[in-house]
Amino acid sequence: MARVQLEKVKKIYQGNVVAVHEFNLDIKDKEFVVFVGPSGCGKSTTLRMIAGLEDISEGTIKIDGEVVNDLPPKDRGIAMVFQNYALYPHLTVFENMAFSLRLKKNPKMSQDEIYKRVTDAAKILGITEYLTRKPKALSGGQRQRVAIGRAMVRESKIFLMDEPLSNLDAKLRNQMRAEIILLRKKINSTFVYVTHDQTEAMTLGDRIVIMKDGYIQQVGTPIEVFDMPDNMFVAGFIGAPMMNFIECDLIKDKTKYYVNPFDSKILVDSSKGTELKSKNIKTQKIILGVRPEHIELASKSSSSAFACKVKVCEMMGSELHVHGEVKGNDIIVRIPTISITPDQKEKLLTAGSTIYLTFTGKVMHFFDKETKINILTKHKNVPVNK
Amino acid sequence: MRKVEKKVDQYDVYRPHKASIKKRRLAGNIAAYTGLILISAVWLIPLVFLIFASFGVNADGTGGAGVPSTIFPEHWGVASYVVLFTDSQVPFMRWFLNTFIMALATAILSSAMTIMMSYVLSRFRFKGRRFMMNFMLVLGMFPGFLTTIVLYYVLKMLGLTQNGAIGGLILVYCASSGMGYYISKGYFDTIPKSLDEAAYVDGATKFQVFYKIMLPLAKPILIYTVLTAFMAPWGDFVFARYISFGYSDSYNVAVGLWSLLQQDKIANYFTVFCAGGVLVSLPVTILFICLQRYYVSGVTGGAVKG
Repeated sequence: MARVQLEKVKKIYQGNVVAVHEFNLDIKDKEFVVFVGPSGCGKSTTLRMIAGLEDISEGTIKIDGEVVNDLPPKDRGIAMVFQNYALYPHLTVFENMAFSLRLKKNPKMSQDEIYKRVTDAAKILGITEYLTRKPKALSGGQRQRVAIGRAMVRESKIFLMDEPLSNLDAKLRNQMRAEIILLRKKINSTFVYVTHDQTEAMTLGDRIVIMKDGYIQQVGTPIEVFDMPDNMFVAGFIGAPMMNFIECDLIKDKTKYYVNPFDSKILVDSSKGTELKSKNIKTQKIILGVRPEHIELASKSSSSAFACKVKVCEMMGSELHVHGEVKGNDIIVRIPTISITPDQKEKLLTAGSTIYLTFTGKVMHFFDKETKINILTKHKNVPVNK
Repeated sequence: MRKVEKKVDQYDVYRPHKASIKKRRLAGNIAAYTGLILISAVWLIPLVFLIFASFGVNADGTGGAGVPSTIFPEHWGVASYVVLFTDSQVPFMRWFLNTFIMALATAILSSAMTIMMSYVLSRFRFKGRRFMMNFMLVLGMFPGFLTTIVLYYVLKMLGLTQNGAIGGLILVYCASSGMGYYISKGYFDTIPKSLDEAAYVDGATKFQVFYKIMLPLAKPILIYTVLTAFMAPWGDFVFARYISFGYSDSYNVAVGLWSLLQQDKIANYFTVFCAGGVLVSLPVTILFICLQRYYVSGVTGGAVKG
């Protein structure tokens, strides 16, 4: 059992700099929670407060119901993996992994037990042959495995990871990401993982905590935060390339709703329309959010399409990222190469050509123009970002 | 053709011809080496004189001649070394042992204090830390001799002068060692803090982090600190002389050997003094040769690791 509860946790640094504002989160046993956000959003600070490496200015952190605010890291039953690995350079890989086990008292661990645990972990991570080496003689990926192994042997109930993959190259990062998912299935602990990479957050987390400037922006499953972002920040942060934001009107016409991006007229899908109606939304100016993959090519100018001038087109292999301009607004569109003809492709790849775009009423997100909050959000107290 | 030549001339301003670089480098080397040879000669002459003089003996072969009038002694022998260990007037073994005990105690105590102080100042944040560091830096700029008289009376009250001088001197050598924190603190600053944090999470106490993680990593600077602490008592004269004042069993080698140069002794003990000087330089020299590798990396390590 390892439930972590953060209640109104606050971190105030010297000189009244508030790094984390009233952080409330209940991490369930064996859950994989990812803190994600741009640098300086307080995600690492929060993790370090859970670890006990940073004092908690206000609020309480409970592990399994016990307040741990004043407990030193070693008494919190946690294991941690650091961004820069933090391997002890003077010790061999074996001793690095055995370090915490050797320090254990009451009861002291037997040599055999230590040997067994270290070699077992090494086997899982595939680093058995490096056990006698020093960290200096390892590559980045191997070092990262040792760092994970060092945390694994402790068989802690809580596993904290502070941007463990950000020092690796892209290919290795993908590989290690998959390995962390496998590892999680094997060791069955509670995971708290910090990253600034939304891909890692989406692929690893049971729940994602999106943070900005010390405030939680939204907590939810990857699907929730992707499909139903609470505010424009979350909408822009999750998903790549970034969601398009278009200022336009939401028009109520009897029982139906329309939007009018760039003077076109697109009908809002009936299910969304019902939601809007139940919230008694009237005609108003909004910011419309549409993901790049949800915008399609239209054959020619119709009432639901608008013209776009291609500025740059990035050929990504399986898809094209078209950066275009519509009436002074930048628009990004993701188009799978398989869905278009060679002629269309040629046109898209030519800067300056005009294409017609449209999207359906199912894929829209409506944000309040003032508060930037999703009009349809079901959550209360969504932070306002201006 | 001419045009090309002209072009070359033009760029020669920025790129002098190869031959002239060679010549200039040669001239520079000659000047540098001449200077270095001159300086090393100035440094080496007293040492060479000391070594030769220590092998000088009287005409009848007995040790303990007076000040020689030539660099090379007229009569050669090792009798002066023998005198050091046989003459009851010259308790050289006692002096040597005194110094060695003081050096050892100082090396252990003062290094421990310096290293721990540096670690604390490098890793922990507490009230008054900045002020303390600056204050010690300024205090360290006053010469130690300013405290001579006060120290003497304090130690006298504690019974740590004359026959208790060895304990007193160890106190003097170790007393302010924590103030010499800057070099080792600089070294500790280069060791990433996440290592400490990893060790804390792994279950180490503050002291375990210090001696299981930090000390092994700070080996070069530790050796440097121990070495400099060990050397201090060998060369100290001023404190050693007035704290052991008049009590020859408490002398260290410097004061002991100096006592051989008094008016009533110099005529018979000068070569003995030289022999003692040679012997004293041995332990420090051996230590240096053995630990030189670490010493150099200790002094420069902090800068390179940055």
